[in-house]
This record gives sequence, C-alpha cells and structure tokens, in this order.
Amino acid sequence: MIVRRVAGWLDDRLGTNAAVRYLLEKIYPDHWSFYLGEFALYFFVALVATGIWLTFAFDAAGSNAYASTLALADRSHPIGYVIRQVHHWSAVCFVAAILVHMGRIFFTGAFRRPRELNWMIGLTMLALASFTGFTGYSLPNDSLSGTGLRIADSVALSIPLVGRWAAAVLNGDDVFPGRLLATHLYTLHVYYLPVAIGALLSLHLGMLIYQKHTQFTRDPRSVVGRRFWPDYALRTVAVLGATMAVLTLLAALVEINPIELYGPYHPWTATNGAVPDWYTAFLEGALRLGPATELRIFGHPIAPVFWPGLVLPLLTFGFLLVWPFVEPRITGDRAAHDVLDTPTQAPLRLGVGAALIFDGILLTLAAADDQTATALHVRLEALVWAYRILLFAGPVAVGLIAARIGREMRARIVESAVYPSDATTLVRNADGGFDEEEPQPA
Amino acid sequence: MKVALFLALTILGALGATAAAATGAPPGLLAGAATLAFLGLASAAGATAVALHAPDDLHEPRRARGPTLPSPVPDDGVTRRVFGRMWFAAFGAFGVLGLVPLISLARRPGRRVLTGWRAGLRLVDENNQPIRSDRLAAGGIETVFPQDGVNLPEAPTVLIRIPRELVTGAVPGDRAAAAGYVAFSKICTHAGCPVALYRRQAHELYCPCHQSRFDVLNGAKNISGPAPRPLPRLAIDVDAQGYLVARGDFDAPVGPDDWDRVR
Repeated sequence: MIVRRVAGWLDDRLGTNAAVRYLLEKIYPDHWSFYLGEFALYFFVALVATGIWLTFAFDAAGSNAYASTLALADRSHPIGYVIRQVHHWSAVCFVAAILVHMGRIFFTGAFRRPRELNWMIGLTMLALASFTGFTGYSLPNDSLSGTGLRIADSVALSIPLVGRWAAAVLNGDDVFPGRLLATHLYTLHVYYLPVAIGALLSLHLGMLIYQKHTQFTRDPRSVVGRRFWPDYALRTVAVLGATMAVLTLLAALVEINPIELYGPYHPWTATNGAVPDWYTAFLEGALRLGPATELRIFGHPIAPVFWPGLVLPLLTFGFLLVWPFVEPRITGDRAAHDVLDTPTQAPLRLGVGAALIFDGILLTLAAADDQTATALHVRLEALVWAYRILLFAGPVAVGLIAARIGREMRARIVESAVYPSDATTLVRNADGGFDEEEPQPA
Repeated sequence: MKVALFLALTILGALGATAAAATGAPPGLLAGAATLAFLGLASAAGATAVALHAPDDLHEPRRARGPTLPSPVPDDGVTRRVFGRMWFAAFGAFGVLGLVPLISLARRPGRRVLTGWRAGLRLVDENNQPIRSDRLAAGGIETVFPQDGVNLPEAPTVLIRIPRELVTGAVPGDRAAAAGYVAFSKICTHAGCPVALYRRQAHELYCPCHQSRFDVLNGAKNISGPAPRPLPRLAIDVDAQGYLVARGDFDAPVGPDDWDRVR
C-alpha cells in the first residue's frame, strides 16, 4: 500500500512508473555463469559498506596509521576486527570474481560487437580494482606493505624520461617515503578510485540493460529467459546473501593480513617469505624472473624493474583491451553477436585465453619461488631459469594444445550436424566387413 | 515451510550477531552468527525463486542496431576538412595547456638520495648508540646508521665482520678492515628493498624480496638474481676512542637507478 502510494507520487512528478515497469518486466536469459559478475558486484557493495565504516575508525596520518590498524586487528574489539577482516577479504575476492567473470565473457565471446566498449570498461575496472586493493593494502604502514611501496616507488622511478616526476607526484616529495605519500594513498583509496569504479560500474550495468544480455539460446532475434521481477530479484538476493555469507565465514575462520605479526615499517627491515595480496603476486613473480641487465640509452639507465613492473602489465592490459578488435580481423567475422559461443566453438580464442591464463598462473607461482625451491630441494637459480623458459615456451604449447582441442571438438559438432547419427546405419556384408547403408529416400 | 525456516535462521543469526557484538564475544562468534543470517537470507530467496516455478522461456525482442542519425555537414563557409582540422587543433591546444597543471603536480620534482654518511661520522645502531670495534664476533652482522641519521631512507648499512684475511679492496692502514669489518648499503640496487639476510657460511647477502645475492668477499658483487650492480661499499675506520667511523659516503649511488641518474 505504502509502496503503491510512493510510486504513484513519484510517477505523478517524474513519470517513473513506465521505466520501473520496463525494468521489472525485463527478460534476462539464464545460465549459472551469468551470476559471476553479480558476485563481483556484491563484493564491491561489501567493500563500500565496510569501507565507509572503516574511514571513521582509521587514522591515515603518518605514524598513527599502524597503531589505528592495530586497534582494528585486536580481537577483543570484535566489531572493528570483523569489519576490517570482511573488508580485506572482499578486496581479494572482488578481484578474483572480476577475473572469473572476465574469463566467462572472454571464452564465450560476449565481448564481440556490439559489446566491445563494455568489455573495455570491465577491463578498466579490473585494473582500478587491483590498484585500489594495492593502495588499501599499503595504508596500515606495516613492514610488509611499506616494502611493497618502496618497490612501487622504484618502479615509478624507472620510467624513462618522467620517472622522477612520477615518483615525485606519488610521494609529494623528492624522497621516499615522501611527506604526502600516506595522504595520496588514502585519497586515492577512499575517494578517486572507488568513485571511478562506481561510475564505470553504473555505465557497465546501464549498457548491459540497454544492449540486452547475451545468451546461449540460438535465437538472435529475441532474449529468451525469465522476468526480473520476481524471478531474478529473488535470485540476486540469494547471490547477495551467499556473497556476504562467504565473507563473514572467511572473517570468522581465517585472519587475513595479520599486521600485528609484521610490525611497523622501517626502511631497514624485511623478512623472508613475504608475499603480497594474490592479485599483485604476478608482478612480484615477474620482478623475480626479470633480467638483471640495466639498459642504457645515451647514458640514461633503464632500471631492470621497468620491464616486469610496468611494461608487462601495460602490455597485457593493452592486448586484452584491443582483443575485441583483433579477433574479427583474424577470423573475418565482423558481425554482431548476441548468441554466445561455447569455449570450444572458437579455437583461436580458446588458445589465446589458455596461453594468458598459463602465464598468469606461472608468474603468480614465481612470486613464491624461494619457498618452492626450498620445498622441492632444487637450486633457486635452476627454478628461476625453468620459470623463465616456461614463461615463453609454456603459453605457446598450452595455446596450441587448447586450440587443437577446440578445433577437434568443433569439428565433431559440425560432423554430427552434417551426418546426423540416425542417418547412417552400418550393415554387415557377406565378407564380414561393414557397409554403410544408404539412407532411404522418403 | 522451508522458506519460513530459512527466514527464521536469518532472524536468529542477525539477532545472535547483535548479541555477540553487544556482549563483546570473540570475533569468530560475531562473524559466525552473521554467516548464518546471510546463509538464511540466500537460502530463503533461492528457495522462493525455485518454488515460483516461473516460466523460463519468455521472449523479449532485440532492437535493430545501426546509426540513428546521419552525420551533419557544417555550413560555415569553409570546407569540411579545414573545419574539422581547426576543431582538432583547438582541442589540441587545450591539451597542451593541460600539461601545465599536470607537470606542476610534482611539488618537489627530482629525487634526493639521503644517505647521511660523511667522513668521521660514527656508525650507530638503531638506538643511535655508537659501535665499538669489538661489537661483533667473526661472522657477526648488524644494521648500522650514521649518527643521528637512523631515519634517513638511504642510510641503512650492513656491517659484517669476516675473518680478516678474507677482506679485499681495503685501503692500506684501514684499522676496521684489519679487524675484519666490511660495510655495504642495505638498500638493494634492484628495487630498494632492505637486503636483510646474511648467509654466514657462503658470505652472501641475500635480498628477501626478489632473491638477489651479493658476494661479501668480493665487494658485494651481484652474483645472482635481478639486481643489476653491486651494493655500494662504505669505507670505514676505527677512531681514537675505539668506535667505528665512516671515511666518507658510499662509493656508488644507493638504491635502484633511474633515467636521470647518469654516471
């Protein structure tokens, strides 16, 4: 009753009922993999909700940062403890959910015309989410994250021509750690980056609603599925509940980022086995595998961290950004697609995606190469060289194998369509062999 | 019936979590009760959705795609090409203007490397206490700083005492080297991490960040890992009171190189 009256009041002034009705009655196709993006959405919701609370509990100013985070890691104050734990857990889950969702979009070809732009927006959000995660991880000014910042500062410095400018912008100073470094990280983390993600997210969802969802049902003319209200509204509440349940369960069982064990940051302390949050680990792995050679251009050094720390992530990002425009050039298929492929229907894409995933996993593993070498009783240098070779040879092999599997599975589908199984009958002949019986004309 | 049970679980969990928070119960209990609440919510919504048995083959037509308006041709007395180029140039000029605030973002441009070391300055520990020449036994290691410079970012130095016959590259008459002391910058030449670990048997410094190894017996030369050059060496001596002092600054720039560090 009250809902009806409020809706009527709003409709009278803004004419909203038609739009609301359109949204509520909108049809969405169904597949389990279409919920992956929703998980990412709700991790972001959890991040914003817990993040707002944390801004009131956290003191970002210089040396207070560690102490105020320590208070949030104190189990005798369960509210702050649980909210910080849920916040950090949702950050690592957020990036994971985006990646898995992106994998679905990539392997089913959902990024194809007309949705190239939404793919690029999503990819940008992945980069922003990782960067937000890194700035948040760095806020407490503990030993582990302080060392991470020092590495980030070295990477910024290594940029040719403008390295010192970039590092000076980051630090707000001409030394590390600069006077304004903590302030810059805090502003980025609680304002610019989340607002940018929120804005892109609105665009992402708006475009999804406007362009309508892709589907596996082979009907290019219409969307086939269920209504939003009440069917998907209930399902999305279920996804929301499941997301939050995962986060609170993780917070209850496993403590993430125990800064009370790391101690505050001093430029002269570091420990063995220090590992960053998982989504930045591939960069750490790349830094470990990177060359020790320092190039010189007209006497100007290019520090070795430049290649694995900056060129590699930017190249990967750029490659994924232009992939929706590269694929049609290779395959010649420039048509608009609302109907999805299964992964094996597009062997090229399957191969490229498998190669990328292989290298991503390899570099992430390389971030723990010292522990791995100790556990396997091999020399670290041998393992590094094995990883280096695998980094280039592995994706070629994995990509070719995956593409081959895709081609064969696609051929099998095509064969079964050309020769339906009920059309051929084998008949034993007098010599003991088999003959194919001709289909009888109807 | 099922849905009601799930919703009851939600109510129980939410109130339980509230009670846990109010009584200061351990965080596991608070988070666990919240988990039950959220699980109840998810299950209730899911069970309702399934119970609806809604049709899943409804159709909604897709729109035709394509440009909706023809592109307009300006009527300004100039040709279309000139018109377009002038607009392009005008925006480009704004782009150039935009570089001004962008460049000025670096409030203190450049980079100072603050080691703090100079000749005659005593070596101190992290509590600013000077180091006597009998401080370390052979094989011992300590992080040292210039006096009153513990917080300078590029100051940290590793002081190692090795068997005196293994010391190489020391100036003649160096009493610290005669006692087996060598000192190197603790800031890695790769990415600026502290080179925090020492392998006593191998006489190697080892960076825990990216596993670069440096040979202490050979001027902390980079022997493995991504570090591009040796750790800078600090020449030291023993003063009249028996304390370790620096003979000057490091023999090479500290930390990772950058474009403007031309040598």
